[in-house]
Amino acid sequence: MQSNPTTMSSKNPRERQMLESIYSMIALVFILVTCVELCDAATVVDVYRLIQYDISGVPFGSRFATLNHHAGSLHFAPGVDLSRTVLIIPVRELNITFVKEYISQRKPLGGLLFLLPQMFNFENREAATESKYQIREKELMKTVLVELERLLIHANIPYPVYFAFEDDDIDAVLADVKRSDVSGQPATATTGGYKLVVSAPEPKRIASPSITNIQGWLPGLKADGDPNQLPTIAIVASYDTFGTAPALSVGSDSNGSGVVALLELARLFSLLYSNPKTRGRYNLLFGLTSGGPYNYNGTHKWLRSFDQRLRESIDYAICLNSIGSWDNELWIHVSKPPENAFIKQIFEGFSTVAEELGFEVGLKHKKINISNPRVAWEHEKFSKLRVTAATLSELSTAPELLESTGGLSDSRHFINETAIVRSIKLVAESIARHIYGCQGKNIQIFADNTSLAVNAPYIRSWLDLLSKTPRVVPFLTKNDPFVMALKKELEDHTHEVNVHHEVLDGMFTLYDSTKAKLNIYQVASVTFDLLLLLVLGSYLIILFTFLVITTRGLDDLISLFRRPPSRKVKTA
Amino acid sequence: MTLFHFFNCAILTFGPHAVYYSATPLSEYDTLGTSIKAALVYLGTALVKLVCLATFLKVSENDSFDPYQELLKALIGFIDVAGLYFALTQLTHRNISQNHKFQAVGLGWAFADSVLHRLAPLWVGARGLEFTWDFILQGLEANANLVLSISLAALGSLMWLRKNKPKTLIPIIYACAGIVATMPSITSYLRRGLGWHFPKVVGFELFTSLVMAFISWQLFSACQRPSS
Repeated sequence: MQSNPTTMSSKNPRERQMLESIYSMIALVFILVTCVELCDAATVVDVYRLIQYDISGVPFGSRFATLNHHAGSLHFAPGVDLSRTVLIIPVRELNITFVKEYISQRKPLGGLLFLLPQMFNFENREAATESKYQIREKELMKTVLVELERLLIHANIPYPVYFAFEDDDIDAVLADVKRSDVSGQPATATTGGYKLVVSAPEPKRIASPSITNIQGWLPGLKADGDPNQLPTIAIVASYDTFGTAPALSVGSDSNGSGVVALLELARLFSLLYSNPKTRGRYNLLFGLTSGGPYNYNGTHKWLRSFDQRLRESIDYAICLNSIGSWDNELWIHVSKPPENAFIKQIFEGFSTVAEELGFEVGLKHKKINISNPRVAWEHEKFSKLRVTAATLSELSTAPELLESTGGLSDSRHFINETAIVRSIKLVAESIARHIYGCQGKNIQIFADNTSLAVNAPYIRSWLDLLSKTPRVVPFLTKNDPFVMALKKELEDHTHEVNVHHEVLDGMFTLYDSTKAKLNIYQVASVTFDLLLLLVLGSYLIILFTFLVITTRGLDDLISLFRRPPSRKVKTA
Repeated sequence: MTLFHFFNCAILTFGPHAVYYSATPLSEYDTLGTSIKAALVYLGTALVKLVCLATFLKVSENDSFDPYQELLKALIGFIDVAGLYFALTQLTHRNISQNHKFQAVGLGWAFADSVLHRLAPLWVGARGLEFTWDFILQGLEANANLVLSISLAALGSLMWLRKNKPKTLIPIIYACAGIVATMPSITSYLRRGLGWHFPKVVGFELFTSLVMAFISWQLFSACQRPSS
């Protein structure tokens, strides 16, 4: 009655051998199959990680990159443990006090996923331009984002924080999650349990990031004597950015607008300087500096590389910073007292031109604290080396560290192209009058509809490029196409273009892994699996009893359970 | 947790085979060897079928239902019947009654089919994080397939092994065998020709398998009566 495997195997050694070979084949297949990467998620979206950095070893930003938690919405039941939940928060419905509370009290969370409106997605401008946002709504969004950025940048967050753009897939997921959160049911296969998975390597410190400064000259007309004796006017703009999500920090206003203005100024003056008749008796120095958000580290290195004679020959330097979204007032920031003769001269030159153009220029004086390594404006680096310098900006007060450095909210939508054109006119006209010595005279050198007019399409195309290029320094390599493009553009208009590669030093350390892919899986809960197991188990038991009863009879089934264990041992 | 789901689906897919073997008298009469042989025959048949499909069928770009191609596929599907014939008649079985022989062959056949067609997708798919009902349905399909295989084996044993059967039943036996053998083509038609969804198709398969099982059981007992 008992089937005896030992007798069978001894009878059929060939069969057993065959079986073994089949087993090894099956094992091989299993091993091969496990090697195949599993990736069949419901949705895969691009996500951008919150920046992670240290200031003098003090950690800031999001400290983790890997994410593997259930999705939750803001409609969670009060008192729920969220330490294993990723909250999906659309910025549209952002409750800043809630986020503030969570971050400042360091409450445990599995992670945060902020959904940005498509408007901020610089990669598909088509969808963004035709968006139906009202101006008020846009402004509201901007203020919310600015506040959020300030909060996130200066916090140390012990969980991953990501940004993504709203789209249909993720909206559907969010709607599902909200529904199940509101109903208060645990997530099951049918009620929309979602798992958000980002598999990213541990963020690594970026060792000695390089910064790149680009300079170009427009040499003045050599009078009898050494050209080095000619005075120099420097026009400077820093081009890199820093923001909550490094991969989204395009900084259209700060300082894309300054870079655009500088390139246009170089183009305008190269037209003037190409003709010996209109070539001025000033050298013009154009400098695109890097490391702006990090205390103008690039500017610092660049100025240090100058020799003493060159530094002394600089008559004054104009730094351009955030000049793309003002209405009728610009500010000139200086660090020498306004009574200073040079400052007075510069300011008067600018304000007369501004008056002619129909807006106002104000003067702001802010003393430098020599003992403090932090500088608020780029011109302060010049001033520290006793070079007369001023910053032209729409900002009326000096920004705090790592603020107004071209973050998330600084998108192309908030740029006013005419503002840039007017700023360029102001600077070009003022410098030209200074060069050709026609201060106080009402002549227009860069008048509209002349060959020297400010070229709006040129500005727009550069602005578009800048608004598409994230420019956070450690992720902008030495030979990045964008840096090469800037160099090429300066080469087209100026002479002796030099590229200085330096190492970013100071107290800042940044970490990599700024972009990732987020997999969204619809998952069943453990309870569902347990229930399924129960159902299957009972199905098999019923099947077993049914088969036993139909083929062997009820008595056999009962005898299966009746059989005393002692007899079993005996037979074995 | 995902391994749990895989485990569940595996139970559903392969559990009934084991239960069938242990619950019925098959386990008492050492018929495992027969089942394994039948499984090996299935492997060989599948190989031949693959070669035939690759030779005669052209790859369709779209997923539409092409009657000519499907007919060809159904014809190639009858290789299965040939394989089953071989397993039932040509394999030497030690002192095993016809009654158990067809069950063992059908069981081995269905198990080999499940392993070959369902194990790999299950291993790859059910362990993924994403939850779908597909693998549970696939497990149900495996159950229907088990029932169909045993029915087909029963009908086959009636056709080829039993000599003294009532003459009136012979056409019915052949018709039933034909229906069961063309089952894969019918489901394929339902899925692609009529655009039925997977759950509906599985429901249909379960229903027809039970009906066919009932019919073949009746036929088998009807043939058994005069001999006993």
